[in-house]
Amino acid sequence: MTTKRRDFIKMATMAGLSLSAANVLYAQHQEKEKNFSDLPRQIKEFQKNHTQRFNMSGYAAPKISTVRMGIIGTGNRGSHHAGTICRVSDVEIKAAADLDPGRLERIKKNLENTDHNPEYYYGSEEEWKKLCERKDLDLVLITTPTYMHAKMAVYAMEQGKHVITEVPAALTIEECWDIVKTSEKTKKHCMMMENYSFMPFHITTLNMAKQGFFGEIVHGDGAYNTSKMGNNFGKTVYWNMWWLRMYGSRKGNIYPTHGMGPIAQMMNINRGDQFDFMVSVESRDFMMQKRAKELAREDPFFEEFANMEYRGNMSSMLIKTKLGRTLNIQHDATSPSPHNLIHGVYGTKGAVLYDPAPPRISTGNHKWADKKTYDELMEKYKPGMLHKFEDFRKGLGADLKSGHGGSDLINVWHIIDCLRTGLPLDQDVYDAAAFSSVVELSEWSVLHNSNSIQIPDFTAGAWESNQPNMDINLNNGSGDTRVLK
Amino acid sequence: MKTRRRDFLRMAGLMGLSLPAAKALYAQWLEDEKNFHDLPKRNEEYQKSHNQRFNMSGYAAPAIDNVRVGIIGLGNRGPTYIKTMGPFKGVQINALAELRPEKARQAEKMAKEYGHSPDVYTGDENAWKKLCERDDIDLVVVTTHYPAHAKMGIYAMKNGKHTAIAVPVAATIEECWDLVKTAEETKKHCMMLENCSYHTFQMTTLNMARTGFYGELVHGECAYNSSKMHNNFTKNFYWNMWWLREYASKKGNIYPTHGLGPICQMMDINRGDQFDFLVSMESRDFMMAEKAAELSTEDPFYDEFVGKDYRGNMNCTLIKTKKGRTIMLQHDATSPSPETYIMGAYGTKGASLKYPFPSRICTGNHRWASQDEYEKVMEKYKPRIIKTFHEMAHKLGGHGGSDAYKSWRLIDCLRGGFPLDIDVYDSVTWSCILPLSSWSVCNNSNSIQIPDFTAGAWENNERNMDIDLANYASTELK
Repeated sequence: MTTKRRDFIKMATMAGLSLSAANVLYAQHQEKEKNFSDLPRQIKEFQKNHTQRFNMSGYAAPKISTVRMGIIGTGNRGSHHAGTICRVSDVEIKAAADLDPGRLERIKKNLENTDHNPEYYYGSEEEWKKLCERKDLDLVLITTPTYMHAKMAVYAMEQGKHVITEVPAALTIEECWDIVKTSEKTKKHCMMMENYSFMPFHITTLNMAKQGFFGEIVHGDGAYNTSKMGNNFGKTVYWNMWWLRMYGSRKGNIYPTHGMGPIAQMMNINRGDQFDFMVSVESRDFMMQKRAKELAREDPFFEEFANMEYRGNMSSMLIKTKLGRTLNIQHDATSPSPHNLIHGVYGTKGAVLYDPAPPRISTGNHKWADKKTYDELMEKYKPGMLHKFEDFRKGLGADLKSGHGGSDLINVWHIIDCLRTGLPLDQDVYDAAAFSSVVELSEWSVLHNSNSIQIPDFTAGAWESNQPNMDINLNNGSGDTRVLK
Repeated sequence: MKTRRRDFLRMAGLMGLSLPAAKALYAQWLEDEKNFHDLPKRNEEYQKSHNQRFNMSGYAAPAIDNVRVGIIGLGNRGPTYIKTMGPFKGVQINALAELRPEKARQAEKMAKEYGHSPDVYTGDENAWKKLCERDDIDLVVVTTHYPAHAKMGIYAMKNGKHTAIAVPVAATIEECWDLVKTAEETKKHCMMLENCSYHTFQMTTLNMARTGFYGELVHGECAYNSSKMHNNFTKNFYWNMWWLREYASKKGNIYPTHGLGPICQMMDINRGDQFDFLVSMESRDFMMAEKAAELSTEDPFYDEFVGKDYRGNMNCTLIKTKKGRTIMLQHDATSPSPETYIMGAYGTKGASLKYPFPSRICTGNHRWASQDEYEKVMEKYKPRIIKTFHEMAHKLGGHGGSDAYKSWRLIDCLRGGFPLDIDVYDSVTWSCILPLSSWSVCNNSNSIQIPDFTAGAWENNERNMDIDLANYASTELK
């Protein structure tokens, strides 16, 4: 410890800080490290001190005839969502905020020649608050960098708005508890848009799980293995190179929800089963620092990234549930191998596997079903949501393609329809918190020799009696919200 | 602790044990528990107190022109070695040992068909020792149930024999170290008979790894997910229901080597890289206890298997290596889903994936190659061992020819006086996952250090698994 302090002070003084300033900085640094190492104890305390104020699982908010919404963050996902929202009836984008006016141009372009004519907020770090404070909004969509999600969600809920946020909804356990407490206090929805959960294969296999196809589900393999090397090192793709900075400063699975969410739903996490504990192991970084150094030799822009200690190429985590199931969740954003979600789910009576393509089903006879049987099963277990979309397609005589295998449009349509009809949303704040909590937990595990760490129960025990959500068969009914051409 | 003691003594009393007997049993039980939970500390001590006496990596024993073989254990796996070693020139099967006389007789008959006249040891629990003690045997093949592997291997080496042992070679960390120490002391080979290393896909991808196809290998995935529900519950499919007893009494990955071996060879474990630590997590048992209960309602034979705390359906183990790579290893012996070994290898420049079929490779362009391209790459990287032996292997058979490759290579190396493809360090490194994963599962999946059985020599050890046949004695069929 003494050596570390000496090194730290030396570095600080070399950087031109006074000794006293360096000492203060070191004390802060120590405090932060100690706090982080202390996470398991803090988790226990959070849990002990938390009483569920109101159970948001299954919560149906009062109906809203036209959903008036604002979007914070219009770089990539915000503008993309705006394009999708335009294809749903009875919703009005009334406001959009982005620090960078240049990024607002993207949403403007996507809203050209539509009925949406939002007011734009930009130019200062706090502009988004003004959007949240408007009286004429029902819903705020948060599509900023991940580390801003939770504080924006909390503020929006406190201002009386329902919230839908991009993934992950929070990056620390403290933030996870903050969104849970705020949602329970304000009775506002806080849904993380885990859009991969709405991919046709995923909702069909979720339906199979609901109908008992798998017998008891024992194990799931999920991943978000897809190279972001081009995007992360692109100078203009992400605002202020924020993703590269994340990779340059964090450990653990910083993007867990796409691989984990759909499997957690099949296992009824938060409603019949619950996460128990997890471990995480990470490879070292074989590519990112090398790339940064290479780029920095040609371009001083990359100098600040050249010596960062990057997240390892492959992050693996294992999760155990209270009912004794296991999940194996990966994240690899560097490998030049093919995009891979795995989505392998194994039960006592059947199994499915999405990647590598083609997707497969086993009826429990130790074989993958042939194409004909596969097609029959996919048809047999096709959920109501997909039938509804077929009706839309026939009615419109148009193709209903949308981002991420069609999942983006299904996701947005159902959110709007549930809000308009006064139905519970497909994913609630407990899902948002549980699926996001592993970001910090995996970081802790990786930095503590991959030892195991308890996963909080954000439902405070209500998981034992909470009813399933993800109403993919539209059992709660549906309203008259339409999909537009 | 007090309550536990009281419960224990009460239970023992109910079983009709006297108080002193119960107390002795309790002390033993405590000791066992303590020993088990102390594993990390014992690991450290073993490592600290171990000095490599002789480096068996790359060791070439004196050439043996005519390899005289004895086989212990002729239940399921043993006869494979009669079939795959028996037909070669320069092999003489001199002895067979098997507890069950009828199995011994069957094996003897089979050996005769291949032109051998072995002496047979049977009917006595210690008959196998007599086989080891003979002075007309060079190689002892051990294919008994795995809890007996290490002691038999050690005894054979101490009696001056090379050993080839079925997977896994050991069940405990002590046994792993004992095998290493004995091999180093006696300068006798101890090769684990890991047939998956000899599958065409594995040998070809090993060649790809060695020639830079993957750039730097980052991550490997492997498994032995293959339902043994039928075999395990079939009466006397395995001698004395030993596999079912294993599942009923153990935790952790009790069959790790088939998936792990080939990935370790691709990552140069024990020779350029080394395991660092592991964590292991296990689902609960969703099927075996239920099956046992179901069977016992019809048949009292199964009564003793009811109410046991079975190994969970799915065991997952994550391993980190010293060079910062990761390995994900699964074992599931119950699921009715298709068999998979996964065999995924992901590098900075390429990837490969054996399961689910069709097998795939990726040249680093974010796509799986077309079938045509796949075949071209597989042809390009086909190692000499396949070119030389493919036809013969498929004629002899056994696990898709891999058993034949393995037997042939073992015999050829012994005859030529060459290092073996798999040495004692590989054998124990791949096997030690059993006790370590068991410890992790029983300790909240916390991480545990993996011993370095090479005692640091991994940094300089040369590659084995000679798929290019740099050493080749041209052993042929009779």
